[in-house]
Amino acid sequence: MMIKKVLGIFFFLIAICTNSFALIEIDITEGNREPLPIAITNFFYDDERSKDLDQVSIDISKVISADLERSGLFRSIDQEAFIQKTASMHIRPRHEDWRLINAQALVTGELTIEKDKLRVEFRLWDTFAEKEIEALVLITTIDNWRRISHMIADKIYERLTGEEGYFDTRILYVSESGPKNNRVKKLAIMDQDSFNHRYLTSGKELVLTPRFNPVKQEITYLSYFKNLPRVYLLDIQTGIQEVVGDFPGMTFAPRFSPNGDKIIMSLARDGNSDIYVMDLKSRVVERLTDSPAIDTSPSYSPDGKKITFNSDRGGSQQIYVMDNKGRNQKRISRGTGNYATPVWSPRGDLIAFTKNFQGRYFIGVMRIDGTGERLLTENWYQEAPSWSSNGRVLIFYRETKADDAGKGHSSSLWSIDLTGFNERKIETPEDASDPSWSRLIQ
Amino acid sequence: MRSSILSSILLHIAILMMAIVTLPIFNNPDLEIPPIVQVELIEISEKTNVPKVSKKQDEKKEKKVEEKKVEKINQPVLKPKIEKSNEKVKDPSENEEVVKNKIEQQMFENIPMRKPVIKKKDKFDPLKIAELIDKSKDTKTVEENIDDLEYDALDSTPSLDSKLTLSEEDAIRAQFMQCWSIPLGIPFDDTMIVKIKISLNTDGSLLEPPEVLQHERMNKPSEKYFRTLAESALRAVRRCDPIKAPDINRYESWKKIQLNFDPREILRG
Repeated sequence: MMIKKVLGIFFFLIAICTNSFALIEIDITEGNREPLPIAITNFFYDDERSKDLDQVSIDISKVISADLERSGLFRSIDQEAFIQKTASMHIRPRHEDWRLINAQALVTGELTIEKDKLRVEFRLWDTFAEKEIEALVLITTIDNWRRISHMIADKIYERLTGEEGYFDTRILYVSESGPKNNRVKKLAIMDQDSFNHRYLTSGKELVLTPRFNPVKQEITYLSYFKNLPRVYLLDIQTGIQEVVGDFPGMTFAPRFSPNGDKIIMSLARDGNSDIYVMDLKSRVVERLTDSPAIDTSPSYSPDGKKITFNSDRGGSQQIYVMDNKGRNQKRISRGTGNYATPVWSPRGDLIAFTKNFQGRYFIGVMRIDGTGERLLTENWYQEAPSWSSNGRVLIFYRETKADDAGKGHSSSLWSIDLTGFNERKIETPEDASDPSWSRLIQ
Repeated sequence: MRSSILSSILLHIAILMMAIVTLPIFNNPDLEIPPIVQVELIEISEKTNVPKVSKKQDEKKEKKVEEKKVEKINQPVLKPKIEKSNEKVKDPSENEEVVKNKIEQQMFENIPMRKPVIKKKDKFDPLKIAELIDKSKDTKTVEENIDDLEYDALDSTPSLDSKLTLSEEDAIRAQFMQCWSIPLGIPFDDTMIVKIKISLNTDGSLLEPPEVLQHERMNKPSEKYFRTLAESALRAVRRCDPIKAPDINRYESWKKIQLNFDPREILRG
């Protein structure tokens, strides 16, 4: 026993002595925040065996480049600059050639047709470590090449940034047309890059606040039937629509729970809005808040244990957090101005909100305890942020001011990432509002 | 009783080991006082970066250049020294050239080659040191010749003050900062710091592949964020290869460096 102790002391002393000859340490706490240069090549195919793949090969490469560039974290290198152009690079790229044009990563791929199906093989290379770091084979119908491209972009994004991609996703929104006092509002859905656009409703009835189910290809939205608000469920794949219930008085902003089995919303009863939750199986409605003030816009935390909402119980509209049974209600927003539409990040670490201060509207984020408030973008009017599946980008809508003659008003979708620098307009065929971003398509 | 003797012995060994590891007299041959002549050269080099060139020296240089031109035919680098040592022994004359060349060759074979670590651009001729030593008895000659020398690479042994200066550290840091594309998608985590050991050649290029010190975290499936971060740091190291080398006189202090890539403040947001 004694010997062990002595030996312990002995080695401890030796360790201290050797430590005194430690290396020089240099801390690198800042880096280059420029987008990562990446080379995305056209995917190769055998001319004789797989005809008509010419366009698909180019298009896949274009979609991947566009996805990655839109994230603001990558810069796709112009193909004109490529030095190595032979098919052999898919198996053995000359890394020095790619480093020469400053590519830190390289994407190569090969297309083949197997039994009328398209087989897409892709590889991601680290040109400095000179090794393959990701490879994947996807088989699908040729028409589905666009989705395959998004999936590949997700893989690349995930491997190089460390977080899940968000390109194989869809955006649900309210499409608007017509004069301001007689707007036609239709429910519309499209890929996150604005392709594959289609309308889900005809526009006869007013639609509001569409939201995706986090686990299924299903949406919930609010519509008026004979001037009564109704909450609907719609299966996107089958087109089957279901009425969840008629609610007397006003109903606002229905939203799914994280596992998709409940809908949380605010209902106005007897002139007072409170938060209610409905179990979709039993259709039992439970009241969560009971305050004389207006409580609206509830949103679950990703683990389903907490709920954030806004309320004017303190005199002005502020953000509150409570547990999923309505207990421990606590105000978290502390800044000046009015806060609305809180939405919990899928990553769980932040809450996004709309802030109105001195006549300007801001989209911002704060930590779940209300600290670290950051305003990402400011404009005349904008609201309703919705998170990308990885909790890195927010989509919202922005309106432009009409002139005195009532002209010039428009409404469009925009996205901004958490850095606040990468703001982009999202193209839609008509005016757009109230977006909801899906999780990754399963 | 037995255990106390044993513990006493072990503790003594421990103290002895500490002494061996820590005390410079046992451990650090680098700190040995260099020969007197070399110390003098270092001091002068620090004071005078650019040697003064007088008319006399110019003439001398011209003579030397002429002499070298003749010698370069056979032994481009090493002959100057031999030539000069011959000058001391004999007076040069055209008739004795053949004999002289033979003697020179014999002497050349006996001269040990020194290979100090020198940058390519250094014009320093190591043989001039030996030449200087030969003439060291004559103080006047030594002083004159010192002015002729270039000192850039004289110090192949590290001086006592061989630590990297703060500005040199900053210069290295700035280079890696430029090369490092931070993976901004990584969620904040207090353990997100990558330690990489690099070994450098005298020209600042990598001597061996960079090594992530936290090997065990690299291949854990649960540590995919760490792997992404570590890979980005490794890319930065390779992208920066070769770095602009700090003062070669302090090579001992920067030939091995630990780089701590620490994005925590950035990721915290």
